[in-house]
Amino acid sequence: MSCYHLSRLLFDLKMNESIYQRSLQDFEKVMGDYDLTAEEKDALRAGDPRKLRQLGVHGMLCLYIKRLQPQFRENIYWMQK
Amino acid sequence: MPLVSALAASHAPNILLEPGREWEDFMDLHYSMAPHGSANRPTLEQQKKLRRDAEAAFAVLRDDLERAKPDVLIVVANDQFVNFFWNNIPTFFVTVADEVKGQFTRHSFHYRNHKELGKNIVRAGMEKGIDFSYGEHVELQHTQNVPLHFLLPEPKIPILPVYVNTWVDPAPSPRRCYMVGELIRAVADDSKERVAILATGGLSHFPGSPRIGEIDETFDHKLLEVMRDGKGKSLVDYSVQDLLQAGDTEFLNWMVVIGAIGDAKATYTAYMPDFVATGWGFVSWKL
Repeated sequence: MSCYHLSRLLFDLKMNESIYQRSLQDFEKVMGDYDLTAEEKDALRAGDPRKLRQLGVHGMLCLYIKRLQPQFRENIYWMQK
Repeated sequence: MPLVSALAASHAPNILLEPGREWEDFMDLHYSMAPHGSANRPTLEQQKKLRRDAEAAFAVLRDDLERAKPDVLIVVANDQFVNFFWNNIPTFFVTVADEVKGQFTRHSFHYRNHKELGKNIVRAGMEKGIDFSYGEHVELQHTQNVPLHFLLPEPKIPILPVYVNTWVDPAPSPRRCYMVGELIRAVADDSKERVAILATGGLSHFPGSPRIGEIDETFDHKLLEVMRDGKGKSLVDYSVQDLLQAGDTEFLNWMVVIGAIGDAKATYTAYMPDFVATGWGFVSWKL
């Protein structure tokens, strides 16, 4: 099954600063803007890249969920593409 | 005019990150994905040595490039979900923009893009049965910026980014990449300008994979030996799966350059595993 919309949200977390900032404020609302299943939303809430990978997300995109986690928000990784 | 210089170099982000805090930051994120890899976490001294060794390798490549006095540098690299997403993944993409820009931490990159050479490659491909995607805007990313920082720090000449899909399945075969290189060489031969070509990426690493942290040094050394022997064409018989198994799918970028230089022997090779994720490789062919 395609995980296009789940992948798109993860892509936007890194590439779209507006989506990222909105996600820091209200991630539930942002998730509501994407066509996601309940299972996909649970995986996003868990913030665990391994769960996202199990749903078929490319490994590089799985990493981007880390940008929401307080200990990684200022990581140098996000300052390059 | 025949190609005047051919190069290949890794583009791992930590090559350009500063040893110390920036490396630690990068490794913290990396090891959160691959806790098993942290056993080899390099010390500050190891980080500094890797940086020095990489700078020394890049210095050789840059000297070879400058001595060749190129008018343009073709940069064959892969995207990693910066310019391309699942709505459209080009197998091969040629940039036909007027200029290209990018940012890597505090480093800014801004080059003229050789639009006409790009269009000539696209047109030649259409005549020869290789239908490139092309477009007028790309954002340079670490896959170009890391090597360009060391090889072309001043934008004295235009570049031409060419993309190969190495990062999502299905990817093109090594044979197909070699054919693209042959096509680029033919276009360069017909050009009045002095064309240089650079492949980026690799060597062995497993980005986004459960195997992240593994480095297949044996396979990497075999590739380098083949290039030193001038037998790069023999690599067309590898499958994508062969490369994937060794963490060397970005070697598809290098296969384009190998197709462009034919049986020329590499005149310089250097290799250093970074203890984090990637076997850093550097090659120059004096043509």
